[in-house]
Amino acid sequence: MAEPAVTRIEPGVYRVEHETRAEIVYVAGSTDNAWAFWNGHVFRGNAPAASSARRRPTVTDLAQSLTAPMPAVVRQVITQPGAIVRKGEALIVLEAMKMELPIRAPTDGTVVAVHCREGELVQPDAPLVDLQ
Amino acid sequence: VVEAVIERLLIANRGEIAIRIARACRELDIESVAVCSEADIDAPHTLAADRAIAVGPAPAAESYLSIPRIIDAALASGCDAIHPGYGFLSESDAFARACEHARLTFVGPPSRVIAKMGSKIEARRLMREAGVPIVPGEAPDDQSDAGILGVIERVGFPALVKPSEGGGGKGMHAVRDRGQAAEAIQASRREAIAAFGDGTLYVERLIECPRHVEVQIAADDRGGIVHLFERECSVQRRHQKIIEESPSPSISPTLREQIAAQAIRAAEAAAYRNIGTVEFLVDPSARDSRSSFYFLEMNTRLQVEHAVTEEVVGVDLVAAQLLLASGEPLPWVQSALSQRGHSIEARLYAEDPEQQFLPQAGRILLCREPRLPGVRIDAGVREGTLVPIHYDPLLAKVIATGENRNAALRRLRAALRSYPILGIKTNLEFLLRILDHPRFQQGTVDTGFLDTEHAVLTATAEQPVPAFVRAAVEAYKANSQSPSSALTGVGGVSDTPPTPHDPWQELRGWRN
Repeated sequence: MAEPAVTRIEPGVYRVEHETRAEIVYVAGSTDNAWAFWNGHVFRGNAPAASSARRRPTVTDLAQSLTAPMPAVVRQVITQPGAIVRKGEALIVLEAMKMELPIRAPTDGTVVAVHCREGELVQPDAPLVDLQ
Repeated sequence: VVEAVIERLLIANRGEIAIRIARACRELDIESVAVCSEADIDAPHTLAADRAIAVGPAPAAESYLSIPRIIDAALASGCDAIHPGYGFLSESDAFARACEHARLTFVGPPSRVIAKMGSKIEARRLMREAGVPIVPGEAPDDQSDAGILGVIERVGFPALVKPSEGGGGKGMHAVRDRGQAAEAIQASRREAIAAFGDGTLYVERLIECPRHVEVQIAADDRGGIVHLFERECSVQRRHQKIIEESPSPSISPTLREQIAAQAIRAAEAAAYRNIGTVEFLVDPSARDSRSSFYFLEMNTRLQVEHAVTEEVVGVDLVAAQLLLASGEPLPWVQSALSQRGHSIEARLYAEDPEQQFLPQAGRILLCREPRLPGVRIDAGVREGTLVPIHYDPLLAKVIATGENRNAALRRLRAALRSYPILGIKTNLEFLLRILDHPRFQQGTVDTGFLDTEHAVLTATAEQPVPAFVRAAVEAYKANSQSPSSALTGVGGVSDTPPTPHDPWQELRGWRN
């Protein structure tokens, strides 16, 4: 297969000839965190756009930290340190863009620490609650 | 040519609709004044009007939702009228009243009409009296959790708890059994207070698998009322519309006539003025045509999805609003209005379908709007825009029109496939999957479609990155690393010198 021929049409816009077709690919971002768009598909880095905020705790994690998935305001702190919670129970209610987002316990456990207070603006990945 | 009485209009909104209104003002030779919060100083809507006034800090309650600040801005800038757009203060009767007191023309119906139709209780009473069919439901006198639960049990499961004030799907929660009731009631009440400043709740029977069909109406202050046909808005997620079209693919010509006639009757019962929308739930399981649709609510404002009506009926609803608010008669007669072809709108949101549609905030690094026949883009963002966390995450509406539904669908798909927005996650791929879904293509979607097809529509694609995409990314990286290449430019194209809005420059230090 022939090497794709790449022509830059304008900044961030590339025409790539491959086999019998020519595709338009849009690229933006920093070199270590590039975004690309082709025909309605968005790609991140060298892979399709993937969720970054979900943190999978490893087996060796003793305490599990629940983090903010996005910039948001803490609307309600329902839980407190020492509370025994069941899987699916809402612990914190965040609000962003007029929508409420309950942060729920992923497993049964005990709340070890609460790192936010009501009214606080939290950034993505900011720890909210530690669960054990 | 009609001369508008309005000379200078304050646009009490942001995003695409504020830009849309500013455009209509230019066409009618009305001066426009934008308002902006501190988060929107450089936003596209701020620059779309003749001038802009900063009205307060980023949180909407202290800026776009602050009645005194908006009224002060209008008076200070010598405006004689205010257009509220949709959302924010558009359905606040207190705001319309404040405009009336300040002798500002409110572009919309009188405050008493907004108050009547904004109260689901009052609206239902009016519609029942007028003989417009309504969904079974009730307003709990006792607004405590227990009182509301009692009403839910009387109305029957599944039930819907929603704010008595407001609309747009905010604060609505389905209750399928007793166990869900407490959480739903409390969430609905909190969201009602946060969004509308009033925690009064309303309970109604949830009609399963309904279709959402709404009728655009317009009325002048001389007793003239017309309808501009229907829009189908059944593609909804948590009562937030995502794809809308006109005509509706799901109703027969007979049903269309019946629904339009009831919409006119509803507008008459409400003593309606200016443009508005009467929403109906169509029950596909009903056999008796007289009970097959129900009045849902009346939206006393411009709708997000007004553009599909503009495209198929060939009218300008925002211009009509401004003329009607100026006391002009309706610019159309019913017999001259007809639907021609088909139009479909898709709403592009900054949200992540893979993470429960979490709203996304951030800088748009690259954005190119498609220019194609029959395609209209109403956008509130452009390249370099910072999408703030404080507001609704709607980025743009893509409206495609064709001679029939298939042609419109084909154009919409082509438009979305050539609308790159990079730097922030959007629902673009999700929209394309909806368009490609057989049920959407058949036009047999009900309002539960996105829930039942959620897994299919949001499945993570594990396909490898095509070699030609990788080749383009490599070329981009090579180009970014050698600044001198900007002058030599591949293919005879040279970069322009970096401007303050150049996303590449602003990207340094950008955190993901």
